[in-house]
Amino acid sequence: MKNNSNHSLREEDQPKKESALSSLDSRFSQTLRNVQGLLKGRTIPGKVLLTRRSDPLDDSNLQEHSPSYHRSFSSNDAGTSDRVDKPEEVDNASKPNSTAGVNKLKSSTSNIEDTPKEVQRSTMGARATDSARLMKFSKFLSETTVILEKLRELAWSGIPPYMRPNVWRLLLGYAPPNSDRREGVLRRKRLEYLDCVSQYYDIPDTERSDDEINMLRQISVDCPRTVPDVTFFQQVQVQKSLERVLYTWAIRHPASGYVQGINDLVTPFLVVFLSEYLEGSVENWSISDLSQDKITNVEADCYWCLSKLLDGMQDHYTFAQPGIQRLVFKLKELVRRIDEPVSRHMEEQGLEFLQFAFRWFNCLLIREIPFHLVTRLWDTYLAEGDALPDFLVYIFTSFLLTWSEELQKLDFQELVMFLQHLPTQNWTDQELEMVLSRAYMWHSMFNSSPSHLAS
Amino acid sequence: MGAYRTEDDYDYLFKVVLIGDSGVGKSNLLSRFTRNEFSLESKSTIGVEFATRSIQVDDKVVKAQIWDTAGQERYRAITSAYYRGAVGALLVYDVTRHVTFENVGRWLKELRDHTDANIVIMLVGNKADLRHLRAISTEDAKAFAERENTFFMETSALESLNVENAFTEVLTQIYRVVSRKALEVGDDPSALPKGQTINVGSKDDVSALKKVGCCSV
Repeated sequence: MKNNSNHSLREEDQPKKESALSSLDSRFSQTLRNVQGLLKGRTIPGKVLLTRRSDPLDDSNLQEHSPSYHRSFSSNDAGTSDRVDKPEEVDNASKPNSTAGVNKLKSSTSNIEDTPKEVQRSTMGARATDSARLMKFSKFLSETTVILEKLRELAWSGIPPYMRPNVWRLLLGYAPPNSDRREGVLRRKRLEYLDCVSQYYDIPDTERSDDEINMLRQISVDCPRTVPDVTFFQQVQVQKSLERVLYTWAIRHPASGYVQGINDLVTPFLVVFLSEYLEGSVENWSISDLSQDKITNVEADCYWCLSKLLDGMQDHYTFAQPGIQRLVFKLKELVRRIDEPVSRHMEEQGLEFLQFAFRWFNCLLIREIPFHLVTRLWDTYLAEGDALPDFLVYIFTSFLLTWSEELQKLDFQELVMFLQHLPTQNWTDQELEMVLSRAYMWHSMFNSSPSHLAS
Repeated sequence: MGAYRTEDDYDYLFKVVLIGDSGVGKSNLLSRFTRNEFSLESKSTIGVEFATRSIQVDDKVVKAQIWDTAGQERYRAITSAYYRGAVGALLVYDVTRHVTFENVGRWLKELRDHTDANIVIMLVGNKADLRHLRAISTEDAKAFAERENTFFMETSALESLNVENAFTEVLTQIYRVVSRKALEVGDDPSALPKGQTINVGSKDDVSALKKVGCCSV
C-alpha cells in the first residue's frame, strides 16, 4: 500500500518519454536539489520520502487515451465560456498578459499535463461537462439575479472547472446573486481584506500580544507543511499568501483562533481562484508569474470564502472542538444504523471513532483523498451550504463503509492504522462519485424518516 | 494491508505517547523508529496518530504501541485523553528552537496531571543534526532533565541518530519497573495477561531507576 502511495526518489528520477514532461521533471529536480542542498554533506540512513501523492502524470495508461478527451472538453470550454461570467471579463481580458510567462509552457505542455486529470474526471465529466449541464450553468449564471437554489442543485454533482471560481463565490454568499452589484461588492471586499492585512499582519511583533505571536509562529510552522506533496505549495510566495490569509482570519475570529488543519481548508480555494489566472496542471504553476494585484485578489477571495465556510462550523474549532465531537458521535450512530456488523466489530475491538474521524471532520477529508479530487468534493460541500455539517456525517459514513468488508477483518491496531492511511491514492472521480451518491441516497432515506436514527 | 500487519507474538504491550510542541519532529521520530523512514514532506498531525513496533528486552518481546499527538495547544483537550494508560512518554523539543524547550515544563505538568506517577519520561532534544543552528546546549537540557527526574537524549530523526536508543531505553525502563513490581508481589511477569496494557502501578518508586542518559550527542 505504501509503495503505491509514495514514489521514492529513484522512481521519480526515471526518464520520461515526452519532452514536455521535462519541465515538470526539472521543477521536481529543482525541489530535489533544494532539498539536497539542505542536506549537503550528510548521509541519511533508511528511506527518505520526497513524494508527490497521486501524480496523474505517473499513469501512462491514462495518457495514451487522453488527447481525445481533452479536445472534446476544451472545445466545450471554448464554446460556452464567452456567454457566461460577464463580470469577470475584465480579468479574462488581462489574462494573456499576466500569464505570458506561462503561456509558452502552457501551449507546449498543457495537452499532456491536463489530460490525465481530464480523463480521470471523465466518468463524472460526463455529467459535469455534458452540454446540457453546461447550458444550464451558463443560463443560471447569466441571470440578472442568480437563483441560488437552482445553482446549488446543479453544482451538487460537480461544477465545470472554469466556472468553479464564480460558482463557489456565489454559493458561499461571498459574491452577491445580483450581477449588477457583484463587481462592486467584490472590489470592496478585496479592499477590506487588504486593510485587514495591513492592520493585523504587516505590523512589527512588538505590536502583537504574546498569544498573537504564538499564533503567528504556529501558522508559520504549518504553512510549509501544507499539501507538501504538491510541489506548487512549496513555493515560498504561496506559503506567504497562506500565512497572511490564515493569520488575518485567525485574528478576526478570536473565539477559535488558528487551529491546525485550517491551513488545509484554504488550499482548495487557493487552487480554484488561482485557476482564473494560471492554466495547466497545478504542478506547473508559478505564482511569481502573477502581479501583486492578482495575488491580493486571490488571497482576498480565499480569506472571505474561508470565513464564509467556517461561519457555518464555528464550534468545530473552539476550545475542545465540541462541534466536531458532536458530529463524530452522529457518525458513529449512523454507521451503527446502516452497517451493524462493522459497527459491532469496531466496538468489540475497542476502536473509538474519534481516533480516526477527528481528522476527517477537522480537515474535511482533504487529508484522506488525492488532492486533485478535493475540488470536486468541495463542489458538493458548498452546494450543501448551511446543511453541510449534517451532510458531512452522511458523506463520511459512506466513505468509511467503502471498506466495510476489509474493516471487519482487522484487529484494533490494524484498524487504527488502516483508517489513518486509507488506500485512496489511486482514486479517481468514480470512487468519489460513488461515495457521494451513496451519501445522498442514505440522506434521503434517513432524513425523511428520522425515527430510523432515534435510538 | 500487509504493510500494516503487526507481529502478534509479544510478552508485554506498553503504551507510549509522543508529546511536545508543533514541528519538533515527533511524527518523524515515530516513523524512523517504526518503519525506518523519514519524510521531508510530513504534514502536521491532526488529533492523534498511531504506530507499533516490537523489540526484545532480555528474553522478552516488548511491543510498543506509540501514540503520536498533535503539538498545538488547542488540541490538548483532545489528545490528553490518549495519555490514559500510558506507561512511557517521549517529550520532544527542537534543539534549534528555544521556545520549544521553554514549553517543556508545561508539557511535563500536562503529563503528570493526566498519567500515572510512575510513567517513564524521556526528554528528547531532536534535530541534533542541525549543529550550526543549535539554540539549546546539551548541558542545559541535561541539567533540566536531572532536576525534573527524567531521562534525556538528543536525537536526529533525519540522521537516525539515537532514535532507536531513545525508544529502546524508555521501553527497557518500563520493562524493568514492571518486572520488578511483578517480582515484589511474587508474580511471574510473563503471566500477566497478554494484550493488555500494563499499568506500572502507583506504589512503586521508579525514581530510583531514573538517571540522565549518557547517549547525548
